[in-house]
Amino acid sequence: MTFQQAAEAHLDDVYGYLAWFTSDRFAAEELTAVTFERALRLWHRFDPSRGSARTWLCQVARTVALDHFRSERRRVRREELAAPSESVDFRFAEGLSPELEDALARLTAGEREVVALRVLLDLDAGAASRILGISPTNCTTRLNRALKKLEEALHAAA
Amino acid sequence: MPQRDLLAELRAAHVAAPPEVRERIRLIALEAPGPGVHRRFTWRRAAVVAVPVAAALAAAVVLGTRPSHHNPPRASAVRGLPAHGAIAPQEKAFSVPVTPKRVQTVGATLSLRVRSVSRAVQRAVAIAGSLSGYASSVHAQTHGAHGTATLTLKIPRTHVQAAIRRLSALGTITSESIDLTDRQAGLNADERRIARLRAQLAGTTDPKRRAAITARIQALQRQDASTRRAAHYATLHLRLATPAAVTHPSRVWRDVAWAGGGAAALAVLLLAVHLARRVRENRLLSRS
Repeated sequence: MTFQQAAEAHLDDVYGYLAWFTSDRFAAEELTAVTFERALRLWHRFDPSRGSARTWLCQVARTVALDHFRSERRRVRREELAAPSESVDFRFAEGLSPELEDALARLTAGEREVVALRVLLDLDAGAASRILGISPTNCTTRLNRALKKLEEALHAAA
Repeated sequence: MPQRDLLAELRAAHVAAPPEVRERIRLIALEAPGPGVHRRFTWRRAAVVAVPVAAALAAAVVLGTRPSHHNPPRASAVRGLPAHGAIAPQEKAFSVPVTPKRVQTVGATLSLRVRSVSRAVQRAVAIAGSLSGYASSVHAQTHGAHGTATLTLKIPRTHVQAAIRRLSALGTITSESIDLTDRQAGLNADERRIARLRAQLAGTTDPKRRAAITARIQALQRQDASTRRAAHYATLHLRLATPAAVTHPSRVWRDVAWAGGGAAALAVLLLAVHLARRVRENRLLSRS
Protein backbone atom coordinates (compact mmCIF):
# COMPACT_ATOMS: atom_id res chain seq x y z
CA MET A 1 0.00 0.00 0.00
CA THR A 2 1.32 3.43 -0.93
CA PHE A 3 0.94 6.51 1.19
CA GLN A 4 -1.49 7.99 -1.33
CA GLN A 5 -3.72 4.94 -1.13
CA ALA A 6 -3.61 4.97 2.68
CA ALA A 7 -4.41 8.68 2.81
CA GLU A 8 -7.33 8.32 0.44
CA ALA A 9 -8.75 5.28 2.21
CA HIS A 10 -8.49 6.54 5.78
CA LEU A 11 -8.89 10.31 5.57
CA ASP A 12 -12.46 10.23 6.86
CA ASP A 13 -11.51 7.92 9.72
CA VAL A 14 -8.66 10.16 10.82
CA TYR A 15 -10.75 13.28 10.51
CA GLY A 16 -13.69 11.70 12.36
CA TYR A 17 -11.43 10.47 15.16
CA LEU A 18 -9.85 13.89 15.56
CA ALA A 19 -13.19 15.70 15.34
CA TRP A 20 -14.69 13.58 18.12
CA PHE A 21 -11.51 13.66 20.15
CA THR A 22 -11.14 17.44 20.08
CA SER A 23 -14.84 18.32 19.63
CA ASP A 24 -13.61 21.23 17.53
CA ARG A 25 -14.15 21.21 13.76
CA PHE A 26 -11.49 23.80 12.95
CA ALA A 27 -8.93 22.11 15.15
CA ALA A 28 -9.81 18.73 13.62
CA GLU A 29 -9.28 20.08 10.09
CA GLU A 30 -5.93 21.55 11.00
CA LEU A 31 -4.83 18.50 12.97
CA THR A 32 -5.84 16.19 10.11
CA ALA A 33 -3.51 18.06 7.77
CA VAL A 34 -0.73 18.03 10.35
CA THR A 35 -1.30 14.30 10.90
CA PHE A 36 -0.89 13.45 7.23
CA GLU A 37 2.15 15.71 6.89
CA ARG A 38 3.76 13.93 9.81
CA ALA A 39 2.63 10.53 8.53
CA LEU A 40 4.26 11.28 5.19
CA ARG A 41 7.56 11.98 6.94
CA LEU A 42 7.28 8.81 9.03
CA TRP A 43 5.84 6.58 6.33
CA HIS A 44 9.10 4.61 6.06
CA ARG A 45 8.51 3.45 9.64
CA PHE A 46 5.11 1.98 8.90
CA ASP A 47 5.29 -1.81 9.09
CA PRO A 48 2.17 -3.55 7.68
CA SER A 49 3.04 -6.71 9.60
CA ARG A 50 2.56 -4.90 12.90
CA GLY A 51 -0.84 -3.35 12.20
CA SER A 52 -3.09 -1.78 9.61
CA ALA A 53 -2.45 1.60 8.02
CA ARG A 54 -5.60 2.90 9.69
CA THR A 55 -4.35 1.99 13.15
CA TRP A 56 -0.94 3.49 12.39
CA LEU A 57 -2.48 6.73 11.08
CA CYS A 58 -4.67 6.95 14.19
CA GLN A 59 -1.56 6.55 16.35
CA VAL A 60 0.07 9.45 14.52
CA ALA A 61 -3.16 11.45 14.83
CA ARG A 62 -3.28 10.79 18.56
CA THR A 63 0.25 12.12 19.03
CA VAL A 64 -0.67 15.23 17.06
CA ALA A 65 -3.88 15.66 19.07
CA LEU A 66 -2.07 15.31 22.39
CA ASP A 67 0.40 18.00 21.30
CA HIS A 68 -2.61 20.15 20.43
CA PHE A 69 -4.21 19.56 23.83
CA ARG A 70 -1.00 20.50 25.61
CA SER A 71 -0.51 23.70 23.65
CA GLU A 72 -4.20 24.50 24.04
CA ARG A 73 -3.98 24.06 27.79
CA ARG A 74 -1.02 26.43 27.94
CA ARG A 75 -2.81 28.93 25.73
CA VAL A 76 -5.98 28.78 27.83
CA ARG A 77 -4.01 29.31 31.04
CA ARG A 78 -2.30 32.29 29.48
CA GLU A 79 -5.30 33.95 27.87
CA GLU A 80 -8.36 32.93 29.81
CA LEU A 81 -7.86 35.53 32.50
CA ALA A 82 -7.96 38.32 29.93
CA ALA A 83 -10.52 36.89 27.53
CA PRO A 84 -12.54 33.74 28.25
CA SER A 85 -12.57 31.39 25.28
CA GLU A 86 -15.69 31.34 23.17
CA SER A 87 -17.63 28.11 22.86
CA VAL A 88 -17.94 27.12 19.22
CA ASP A 89 -21.06 25.35 18.02
CA PHE A 90 -19.93 21.92 16.89
CA ARG A 91 -21.78 18.95 15.45
CA PHE A 92 -20.16 15.57 15.93
CA ALA A 93 -21.87 13.92 12.97
CA GLU A 94 -24.81 14.15 10.65
CA GLY A 95 -27.82 12.20 11.83
CA LEU A 96 -27.21 12.35 15.58
CA SER A 97 -30.01 13.57 17.81
CA PRO A 98 -29.42 16.91 19.59
CA GLU A 99 -29.60 15.06 22.94
CA LEU A 100 -26.85 12.68 21.91
CA GLU A 101 -24.77 15.55 20.51
CA ASP A 102 -25.16 17.30 23.85
CA ALA A 103 -24.29 14.14 25.77
CA LEU A 104 -21.17 13.58 23.65
CA ALA A 105 -20.08 17.16 24.30
CA ARG A 106 -20.28 16.51 28.05
CA LEU A 107 -17.88 13.57 27.88
CA THR A 108 -14.21 14.14 28.58
CA ALA A 109 -11.77 14.10 25.68
CA GLY A 110 -10.47 10.70 26.83
CA GLU A 111 -13.99 9.23 26.87
CA ARG A 112 -14.88 10.68 23.46
CA GLU A 113 -11.64 9.26 22.11
CA VAL A 114 -12.45 5.70 23.08
CA VAL A 115 -16.01 6.02 21.73
CA ALA A 116 -14.64 7.36 18.45
CA LEU A 117 -12.18 4.51 18.09
CA ARG A 118 -14.43 1.63 19.18
CA VAL A 119 -17.79 2.82 17.87
CA LEU A 120 -17.29 5.37 15.11
CA LEU A 121 -14.24 3.71 13.53
CA ASP A 122 -15.42 0.27 14.68
CA LEU A 123 -11.93 -0.82 15.72
CA ASP A 124 -11.61 -3.96 17.80
CA ALA A 125 -10.33 -3.78 21.37
CA GLY A 126 -6.83 -4.86 20.34
CA ALA A 127 -6.33 -2.16 17.73
CA ALA A 128 -7.92 0.55 19.86
CA SER A 129 -5.83 -0.39 22.89
CA ARG A 130 -2.68 -0.26 20.74
CA ILE A 131 -3.51 3.31 19.71
CA LEU A 132 -4.33 4.32 23.28
CA GLY A 133 -1.31 2.55 24.73
CA ILE A 134 -3.36 0.64 27.28
CA SER A 135 -4.51 -2.95 27.72
CA PRO A 136 -7.59 -4.24 25.82
CA THR A 137 -9.37 -4.80 29.15
CA ASN A 138 -8.73 -1.24 30.19
CA CYS A 139 -9.93 -0.06 26.81
CA THR A 140 -13.21 -1.97 27.16
CA THR A 141 -13.68 -0.62 30.68
CA ARG A 142 -13.21 2.94 29.44
CA LEU A 143 -15.72 2.37 26.66
CA ASN A 144 -18.32 0.96 29.05
CA ARG A 145 -17.91 3.91 31.39
CA ALA A 146 -18.26 6.37 28.51
CA LEU A 147 -21.37 4.64 27.18
CA LYS A 148 -22.89 4.56 30.64
CA LYS A 149 -22.30 8.30 30.98
CA LEU A 150 -23.93 8.86 27.62
CA GLU A 151 -26.85 6.71 28.64
CA GLU A 152 -27.30 8.62 31.91
CA ALA A 153 -27.08 11.96 30.14
CA LEU A 154 -29.72 10.89 27.63
CA HIS A 155 -31.92 9.55 30.41
CA ALA A 156 -31.62 12.85 32.28
CA ALA A 157 -32.43 14.78 29.11
CA ALA A 158 -35.52 12.66 28.52
CA MET B 1 -32.40 5.13 25.49
CA PRO B 2 -31.05 1.59 25.84
CA GLN B 3 -27.37 1.08 25.17
CA ARG B 4 -28.10 -1.02 22.07
CA ASP B 5 -30.02 1.87 20.47
CA LEU B 6 -27.38 4.29 21.58
CA LEU B 7 -24.66 2.24 19.89
CA ALA B 8 -26.77 1.86 16.77
CA GLU B 9 -27.25 5.60 16.52
CA LEU B 10 -23.57 6.28 17.09
CA ARG B 11 -22.57 3.66 14.50
CA ALA B 12 -24.99 5.10 11.97
CA ALA B 13 -23.28 8.43 12.25
CA HIS B 14 -20.91 9.22 9.45
CA VAL B 15 -18.21 11.83 9.63
CA ALA B 16 -16.75 12.95 6.33
CA ALA B 17 -13.81 15.26 5.95
CA PRO B 18 -14.69 18.61 4.35
CA PRO B 19 -13.70 19.02 0.67
CA GLU B 20 -10.99 21.59 1.48
CA VAL B 21 -9.33 19.14 3.91
CA ARG B 22 -9.60 16.37 1.32
CA GLU B 23 -7.91 18.59 -1.26
CA ARG B 24 -5.18 19.54 1.20
CA ILE B 25 -4.44 15.91 2.02
CA ARG B 26 -4.42 15.04 -1.67
CA LEU B 27 -1.72 17.67 -2.23
CA ILE B 28 0.29 16.33 0.70
CA ALA B 29 -0.02 12.78 -0.61
CA LEU B 30 1.24 13.88 -4.01
CA GLU B 31 4.63 14.57 -2.43
CA ALA B 32 4.87 10.95 -1.31
CA PRO B 33 7.35 8.76 -3.13
CA GLY B 34 6.13 5.62 -4.83
CA PRO B 35 5.83 2.28 -3.07
CA GLY B 36 9.07 1.75 -1.28
CA VAL B 37 10.63 -0.85 0.88
CA HIS B 38 9.62 -0.55 4.49
CA ARG B 39 12.74 -0.19 6.50
CA ARG B 40 12.86 -2.56 9.38
CA PHE B 41 16.08 -0.95 10.61
CA THR B 42 15.70 2.56 11.95
CA TRP B 43 18.04 4.56 14.13
CA ARG B 44 15.37 4.73 16.78
CA ARG B 45 15.03 0.94 16.90
CA ALA B 46 18.79 0.57 16.91
CA ALA B 47 19.08 3.09 19.76
CA VAL B 48 16.55 1.13 21.86
CA VAL B 49 18.99 -1.79 21.82
CA ALA B 50 22.30 0.03 21.59
CA VAL B 51 21.80 2.56 24.41
CA PRO B 52 21.08 0.04 27.22
CA VAL B 53 23.86 -2.24 25.96
CA ALA B 54 26.32 0.67 25.88
CA ALA B 55 25.20 1.76 29.35
CA ALA B 56 25.65 -1.75 30.73
CA LEU B 57 29.09 -2.05 29.12
CA ALA B 58 30.13 1.36 30.43
CA ALA B 59 28.94 0.41 33.91
CA ALA B 60 30.83 -2.86 33.74
CA VAL B 61 34.01 -1.09 32.60
CA VAL B 62 33.71 1.63 35.24
CA LEU B 63 32.90 -0.80 38.02
CA GLY B 64 35.43 -3.31 36.80
CA THR B 65 38.25 -0.81 37.04
CA ARG B 66 37.18 0.42 40.47
CA PRO B 67 39.59 -0.47 43.26
CA SER B 68 38.29 -3.35 45.32
CA HIS B 69 37.31 -2.78 48.93
CA HIS B 70 38.61 -6.23 49.75
CA ASN B 71 42.13 -5.30 48.74
CA PRO B 72 44.11 -3.61 51.50
CA PRO B 73 46.19 -0.60 50.52
CA ARG B 74 49.63 -1.31 49.14
CA ALA B 75 52.44 -1.07 51.64
CA SER B 76 54.96 1.65 51.13
CA ALA B 77 58.58 0.99 50.40
CA VAL B 78 60.91 -0.67 52.88
CA ARG B 79 58.23 -1.49 55.39
CA GLY B 80 58.56 -5.20 54.99
CA LEU B 81 54.79 -5.50 54.58
CA PRO B 82 53.33 -7.47 51.69
CA ALA B 83 50.87 -5.72 49.43
CA HIS B 84 48.11 -7.80 47.86
CA GLY B 85 46.53 -5.39 45.37
CA ALA B 86 47.76 -5.61 41.81
CA ILE B 87 50.21 -2.87 41.04
CA ALA B 88 50.18 -1.34 37.62
CA PRO B 89 53.19 -2.38 35.57
CA GLN B 90 54.21 1.22 34.99
CA GLU B 91 54.52 1.78 38.72
CA LYS B 92 58.02 1.45 40.03
CA ALA B 93 58.94 -1.44 42.28
CA PHE B 94 60.33 -0.80 45.73
CA SER B 95 63.64 1.00 45.88
CA VAL B 96 66.15 -0.79 48.09
CA PRO B 97 68.32 1.66 50.05
CA VAL B 98 71.46 -0.49 49.96
CA THR B 99 74.59 1.23 51.23
CA PRO B 100 77.54 -0.53 49.53
CA LYS B 101 80.08 0.45 52.19
CA ARG B 102 78.03 -1.03 55.01
CA VAL B 103 77.32 -4.70 55.58
CA GLN B 104 73.59 -5.30 55.25
CA THR B 105 71.52 -8.43 54.76
CA VAL B 106 68.79 -7.90 52.21
CA GLY B 107 65.79 -10.13 51.57
CA ALA B 108 62.95 -9.41 49.17
CA THR B 109 59.76 -11.15 48.11
CA LEU B 110 58.15 -10.32 44.82
CA SER B 111 54.88 -11.77 43.51
CA LEU B 112 54.11 -11.27 39.85
CA ARG B 113 51.22 -12.00 37.56
CA VAL B 114 52.69 -13.23 34.29
CA ARG B 115 51.30 -14.54 31.03
CA SER B 116 53.59 -17.55 30.80
CA VAL B 117 55.15 -19.05 33.89
CA SER B 118 57.76 -21.14 32.07
CA ARG B 119 59.02 -18.20 30.04
CA ALA B 120 59.10 -15.97 33.12
CA VAL B 121 61.12 -18.60 35.04
CA GLN B 122 63.68 -18.79 32.23
CA ARG B 123 64.02 -15.03 32.09
CA ALA B 124 64.26 -14.69 35.87
CA VAL B 125 67.10 -17.21 36.02
CA ALA B 126 68.80 -15.43 33.12
CA ILE B 127 68.45 -12.08 34.90
CA ALA B 128 70.00 -13.54 38.07
CA GLY B 129 72.93 -14.93 36.06
CA SER B 130 73.52 -11.68 34.22
CA LEU B 131 73.84 -9.89 37.58
CA SER B 132 76.42 -12.40 38.86
CA GLY B 133 73.79 -14.17 40.90
CA TYR B 134 72.19 -17.60 40.71
CA ALA B 135 68.97 -19.43 41.40
CA SER B 136 69.26 -21.45 44.59
CA SER B 137 65.87 -23.11 44.14
CA VAL B 138 63.21 -23.26 41.45
CA HIS B 139 59.81 -24.86 41.84
CA ALA B 140 57.29 -24.58 39.01
CA GLN B 141 54.00 -26.33 38.31
CA THR B 142 51.21 -26.00 35.78
CA HIS B 143 47.63 -27.24 35.70
CA GLY B 144 46.23 -26.65 32.24
CA ALA B 145 46.38 -22.95 31.48
CA HIS B 146 47.12 -22.08 35.08
CA GLY B 147 50.67 -22.17 36.36
CA THR B 148 52.68 -21.10 39.39
CA ALA B 149 56.38 -20.99 40.20
CA THR B 150 58.48 -20.14 43.23
CA LEU B 151 62.13 -19.18 42.81
CA THR B 152 64.79 -18.30 45.33
CA LEU B 153 67.43 -16.15 43.72
CA LYS B 154 70.74 -15.12 45.19
CA ILE B 155 71.78 -11.74 43.84
CA PRO B 156 74.85 -9.72 44.82
CA ARG B 157 73.69 -7.11 47.29
CA THR B 158 74.93 -4.25 45.18
CA HIS B 159 72.81 -5.44 42.24
CA VAL B 160 69.60 -6.13 44.14
CA GLN B 161 67.93 -2.93 43.00
CA ALA B 162 68.66 -3.68 39.36
CA ALA B 163 67.42 -7.24 39.87
CA ILE B 164 64.10 -6.12 41.38
CA ARG B 165 63.64 -3.58 38.58
CA ARG B 166 64.27 -6.14 35.84
CA LEU B 167 62.25 -8.90 37.50
CA SER B 168 59.32 -6.53 37.99
CA ALA B 169 59.21 -6.04 34.25
CA LEU B 170 58.37 -9.71 33.77
CA GLY B 171 54.74 -9.12 34.71
CA THR B 172 52.37 -7.20 36.95
CA ILE B 173 53.39 -6.88 40.58
CA THR B 174 50.72 -8.27 42.87
CA SER B 175 52.69 -8.02 46.09
CA GLU B 176 56.20 -7.20 47.23
CA SER B 177 58.15 -6.89 50.43
CA ILE B 178 61.71 -5.94 51.38
CA ASP B 179 63.65 -6.85 54.51
CA LEU B 180 66.89 -5.02 55.15
CA THR B 181 68.98 -5.46 58.28
CA ASP B 182 72.14 -3.49 58.90
CA ARG B 183 74.93 -5.74 60.27
CA GLN B 184 77.64 -3.10 60.26
CA ALA B 185 77.13 -2.08 63.89
CA GLY B 186 77.52 -5.70 65.08
CA LEU B 187 80.67 -6.13 62.98
CA ASN B 188 82.12 -2.92 64.38
CA ALA B 189 81.43 -4.13 67.91
CA ASP B 190 83.10 -7.44 67.08
CA GLU B 191 86.17 -5.62 65.74
CA ARG B 192 86.40 -3.60 68.92
CA ARG B 193 86.07 -6.77 70.95
CA ILE B 194 88.80 -8.46 68.87
CA ALA B 195 91.06 -5.43 69.42
CA ARG B 196 90.52 -5.67 73.16
CA LEU B 197 91.21 -9.40 73.09
CA ARG B 198 94.45 -8.83 71.14
CA ALA B 199 95.52 -6.29 73.73
CA GLN B 200 94.80 -8.84 76.45
CA LEU B 201 96.72 -11.43 74.45
CA ALA B 202 99.77 -9.18 74.28
CA GLY B 203 99.66 -8.58 78.03
CA THR B 204 99.46 -12.20 79.17
CA THR B 205 102.04 -14.96 79.26
CA ASP B 206 99.88 -17.72 80.64
CA PRO B 207 99.66 -20.32 77.81
CA LYS B 208 96.19 -21.45 78.79
CA ARG B 209 94.90 -17.94 78.97
CA ARG B 210 96.52 -17.06 75.61
CA ALA B 211 95.01 -20.16 73.99
CA ALA B 212 91.55 -19.21 75.26
CA ILE B 213 91.87 -15.61 74.05
CA THR B 214 93.19 -16.75 70.66
CA ALA B 215 90.27 -19.17 70.28
CA ARG B 216 87.84 -16.42 71.17
CA ILE B 217 89.41 -14.09 68.59
CA GLN B 218 89.26 -16.76 65.89
CA ALA B 219 85.62 -17.51 66.69
CA LEU B 220 84.70 -13.84 66.37
CA GLN B 221 86.62 -13.59 63.08
CA ARG B 222 84.83 -16.67 61.70
CA GLN B 223 81.50 -15.23 62.77
CA ASP B 224 82.26 -11.89 61.09
CA ALA B 225 83.43 -13.60 57.91
CA SER B 226 80.25 -15.64 57.85
CA THR B 227 78.14 -12.50 58.30
CA ARG B 228 80.00 -10.72 55.47
CA ARG B 229 79.59 -13.73 53.17
CA ALA B 230 75.91 -13.98 53.95
CA ALA B 231 75.46 -10.26 53.36
CA HIS B 232 77.19 -10.40 49.99
CA TYR B 233 74.14 -12.01 48.42
CA ALA B 234 70.62 -10.76 48.79
CA THR B 235 67.94 -13.46 48.89
CA LEU B 236 65.12 -12.75 46.50
CA HIS B 237 61.97 -14.88 46.64
CA LEU B 238 60.05 -14.67 43.42
CA ARG B 239 56.48 -15.98 43.09
CA LEU B 240 55.02 -16.19 39.61
CA ALA B 241 51.44 -16.99 38.67
CA THR B 242 49.25 -16.79 35.59
CA PRO B 243 46.24 -14.39 35.75
CA ALA B 244 43.75 -17.12 36.73
CA ALA B 245 45.66 -17.63 39.94
CA VAL B 246 45.41 -14.07 41.14
CA THR B 247 42.08 -12.95 39.72
CA HIS B 248 39.44 -13.10 42.40
CA PRO B 249 36.62 -15.17 40.91
CA SER B 250 33.88 -13.27 42.74
CA ARG B 251 35.01 -10.01 41.17
CA VAL B 252 33.50 -10.93 37.82
CA TRP B 253 30.23 -11.81 39.49
CA ARG B 254 30.31 -8.63 41.50
CA ASP B 255 30.70 -6.59 38.31
CA VAL B 256 27.91 -8.55 36.66
CA ALA B 257 25.74 -7.91 39.72
CA TRP B 258 26.54 -4.19 39.56
CA ALA B 259 25.73 -4.07 35.86
CA GLY B 260 22.50 -6.00 36.49
CA GLY B 261 21.58 -3.62 39.28
CA GLY B 262 22.24 -0.69 36.98
CA ALA B 263 20.06 -2.22 34.28
CA ALA B 264 17.29 -2.84 36.83
CA ALA B 265 17.54 0.76 38.06
CA LEU B 266 17.34 1.96 34.45
CA ALA B 267 14.27 -0.20 33.88
CA VAL B 268 12.60 1.19 37.02
CA LEU B 269 13.43 4.73 35.89
CA LEU B 270 11.95 4.11 32.45
CA LEU B 271 8.84 2.60 34.04
CA ALA B 272 8.48 5.62 36.32
CA VAL B 273 8.82 7.99 33.35
CA HIS B 274 6.22 5.96 31.46
CA LEU B 275 3.79 6.03 34.39
CA ALA B 276 4.29 9.76 34.94
CA ARG B 277 3.61 10.34 31.26
CA ARG B 278 0.45 8.24 31.47
CA VAL B 279 -0.79 10.17 34.52
CA ARG B 280 -0.16 13.51 32.78
CA GLU B 281 -1.93 12.26 29.67
CA ASN B 282 -4.96 11.08 31.64
CA ARG B 283 -5.12 14.43 33.41
CA LEU B 284 -4.94 16.21 30.08
CA LEU B 285 -7.77 14.15 28.60
CA SER B 286 -9.99 14.27 31.68
CA ARG B 287 -11.52 17.54 30.45
CA SER B 288 -14.35 17.81 28.04
